[in-house]
Amino acid sequence: MSTATATPGKLWGGGKSPFNVEYGKLMMWYFLMSDAFTFGAFLISYGTVRFSTNGWPDPNEVFRSYPFAPEGAHAPLVFVSIMTFILIISSVTMVLAVHAGHNMDKKKVVVNLILTILGGLAFLGCQAWEWNHLHSEGAWWGHNPFLNHDGTAASTNFTNFFFTITGFHGFHVFSGVIINIIMLIMTLRDVFEKRGHYLMIEKAGLYWHFVDLVWVFVFTCFYLI
Amino acid sequence: MEHTVAHEEHSGGGVKEIVRVTVILSILTAVELALGFWMMGMPLDSGLRLAVKGAIIILMMAKAFYIVAYFMHLKHELKNMIMTIVVPLALFIWFIIAFLYDGNSFRHLRNTYDPHFKEQSTIKVEKKEEAKHEESKEEKKEEAKPEERKTVE
Amino acid sequence: MSNEAVLHAHSGVATHEVHGDHHHEHHHHETFITKYVFSQDHKMIAKQFLITGMVWAVIGGLMSVLFRLQLGYPESTFPWLEDLLGKWAKGGRITPEAYYALVTTHGTVLVFFVLTAGLSGTFANFLIPLQVGARDMASPFLNMLSYWFFFLASVVMLSSIFVETGPFSGGWTAYPPLSALGAASPGSKTGMDLWIISMALFVVSSLLGGLNYIATILNMRTKGMSMTRMPLTIWALFFTAVLGVLSFPVLFSGFILLIFDRNFGTSFYLSDIFIAGQGALPNEGGSAILYQHLFWFLGHPEVYIILLPAMGMVSEILSVNSRKPIFGYMAMVGSLFAIAILAFLVWAHHMFVTGLNPFLGSIFVLLTLLIAVPSAIKVFNWLTTLWRGNIRFTPGMMFAIGFVSLFISGGLTGIWLGNSALDIHLHDTYFVIAHFHIVMGVASMFGMFAGIYHWFPKMYGRYLNNTLGYVHFWVTMIGAYLIFWPMHYEGLAGMPRRYYDYSSWESFKQFIELNRFISTVAMIVFAVQLLFLFNFFYSIFKGRKVKTQNPWGSNTLEWTTPIRPGHGNWPGEIPEVHRWAYDYGKDGKEFIPQTTPVGADESHH
Repeated sequence: MSTATATPGKLWGGGKSPFNVEYGKLMMWYFLMSDAFTFGAFLISYGTVRFSTNGWPDPNEVFRSYPFAPEGAHAPLVFVSIMTFILIISSVTMVLAVHAGHNMDKKKVVVNLILTILGGLAFLGCQAWEWNHLHSEGAWWGHNPFLNHDGTAASTNFTNFFFTITGFHGFHVFSGVIINIIMLIMTLRDVFEKRGHYLMIEKAGLYWHFVDLVWVFVFTCFYLI
Repeated sequence: MEHTVAHEEHSGGGVKEIVRVTVILSILTAVELALGFWMMGMPLDSGLRLAVKGAIIILMMAKAFYIVAYFMHLKHELKNMIMTIVVPLALFIWFIIAFLYDGNSFRHLRNTYDPHFKEQSTIKVEKKEEAKHEESKEEKKEEAKPEERKTVE
Repeated sequence: MSNEAVLHAHSGVATHEVHGDHHHEHHHHETFITKYVFSQDHKMIAKQFLITGMVWAVIGGLMSVLFRLQLGYPESTFPWLEDLLGKWAKGGRITPEAYYALVTTHGTVLVFFVLTAGLSGTFANFLIPLQVGARDMASPFLNMLSYWFFFLASVVMLSSIFVETGPFSGGWTAYPPLSALGAASPGSKTGMDLWIISMALFVVSSLLGGLNYIATILNMRTKGMSMTRMPLTIWALFFTAVLGVLSFPVLFSGFILLIFDRNFGTSFYLSDIFIAGQGALPNEGGSAILYQHLFWFLGHPEVYIILLPAMGMVSEILSVNSRKPIFGYMAMVGSLFAIAILAFLVWAHHMFVTGLNPFLGSIFVLLTLLIAVPSAIKVFNWLTTLWRGNIRFTPGMMFAIGFVSLFISGGLTGIWLGNSALDIHLHDTYFVIAHFHIVMGVASMFGMFAGIYHWFPKMYGRYLNNTLGYVHFWVTMIGAYLIFWPMHYEGLAGMPRRYYDYSSWESFKQFIELNRFISTVAMIVFAVQLLFLFNFFYSIFKGRKVKTQNPWGSNTLEWTTPIRPGHGNWPGEIPEVHRWAYDYGKDGKEFIPQTTPVGADESHH
């Protein structure tokens, strides 16, 4: 926010922030709220279509493989639980980075940010593998090789929604990783040390946790129920 | 500078709290997964299956609560700020109910007035494995010429 | 103390610590580009929004004149139309395709570009920092981006008019399958692609703007400016921003699904479709109603995104020019809040005849009719504010009163349409056209005009010409009623909207004279808007100069700035606020500005 506007400290003289936060964090919160409505609309659309369709594929039949699995492996929920834990752990490291930022502990910030970025990349890798695997089975936008629970032919909306929503989430993870990399570079160049605070990391952290939060919902809606 | 002091009061319980929440989130996820495995063996339209799904959704909300409240520090913000964020999310209640209710009603409409729709959902695809195989072959053919998606089937 | 610390730490960030503590505006050299083009001054951004909105209003209005020409004179040919539209008006008569394209673009442009960006974009940018006592928006940079995203959206939308297959022509709501299948109509091809891109850019613009408005109103208020001391304009703009931030993302999701349906072979919205000459579509299993739900989840709040800023400005202008405090300030805020909440709960009343579940529909009827309560509260409070006021009939005030009149007339028909049973008869007739044009279209335009006439002195340091203003008001006011009042009768008779030519229906043929009358008035009203534009641009350069700092004798903070405020608004300290904005005619004083400290012997309001 390179704003060379006339808001110099001396003449600010304004009232106080009612929430005790600076505006950037407030904007990040409200942005996340609006993004929650984007994801909410996707997931609710998914639910609506699922409710208006007679049958639906069984996720346990669809997501049953994992990397280097033998042909015809039947291991539902295994791979996705690994993905979930990766994301949760990366969220934890992000909290630790934010926490270290509060204590002005640059070294810990750097270490935890690196771990978060690695977690994010690992998650993206897992997702890439899963997409690739499903694609090799013939699933894609507009193509659904999987049958309904009861053995009847399914509409393509199962894969349509799966790829659209996990893709949109993956895009958020990707941009989160980019943001975290920028934060890492800024930390390494002592930008925050000079500024005297690590508030930027806190905002990046909010975004990253939101990505994790969305996954909680996506994971439940697509893999569990 | 001063603001570090300002944030001390924000940061809540510190590392201890982070560890505690991590453990809670892991346990919740593990329970969810356990329920997911348990659910696999149940018949499709059993009440128990629905109940388990409900339980999973409650666990999902609990996870969301812990992430927002502790990881995103919302619990340590001022009450007014919490309200400005939580209250608008209440709009989701009617958003979800109305959409899903109408989706469900649309299915009933089609089942009642669209015999083709109803019929299709009762025809089982025979010989599961082979059917799948053939379909995926077809898919590949179609993929080669995606512009043909509007051609007569 | 901690707040101050954070805020100060932040303002250090904002200035990049390069400029230190000295007062920035006096030292910084502004070039033409940074002052007028890529400006980060909220006042300049407001003017950019306003003038872009005006350009769109002219284009959108001209489109309505063109299709009214077709509706009023379906049998006649106008050779000049062919010169203007080329193959879209072969032989001097608008083709059906062109007619639909005109109707669609007219709707999209006026709803989104004029009445959303042009109205709340202009006045939120202009008034929020000035009235809450801030030097600029929370993030001037994002604010600038917000305008330029809008500008990009404008360019893309404009370019869609010139593509070979024409702009999108499936109605401003862009329902699938017309919007999802390129084969559906000429406009559903490239025109629709550009429409979606433009709208996506527009969503980004309004989100950037909205987040900024909210953060500014919450965080940047000056000392003493508590939430309950804010002028009602700010309250209205605040709720507008909240509506936008929460509803535009849903539209965005809907558009993403639509893009997949168009380009990637999915069938979110497609089912049971048979294309002539091509046969059955393989895309099966979707639901077109889903799109309508998603669209109207934005679409209904959008109505209030358009209306609330007008309501806020009208409240302020009515109070200032009646020289009376606004009647029921807290009730006004409460009703704004109630409207903002209800706006999210009633979307499906646009969909009663789509096959929506009737029981669900009945709940939507109930929720819809509840909106009448806060709306009535507002109307009564406006009327009681006027009651026994010492009214000054400035052009701004005239338009504000006109707004109240239009809001009542248009709002009452809303009660009819909100009933699902009546809606079976009235749906998609001219009754609906009349209703929403009066209550949302013209009323909001009146709010916008009121705002422009009232704050023009602050924007440009000059007055608009009063005589032209009165001509503008009376012709527009009478014209608006003459255009839309008869449409109620047509609609009750069952005349459907969006038809190209009614002459082949015995039941609607009778309205040909009425239609011709409506078209004639529409053209006159359009011409008078050009007169207003002349007044606007002439007065920027040659208008009567403002000599006093506070020409209207108003209480709010924007009139404590210099006549032509620089970037940063106040040359010295930001004023401190001691009272609410509506101390008019109190204790024998005509008005007491918000900056005046409360006296010891002052009575309570």
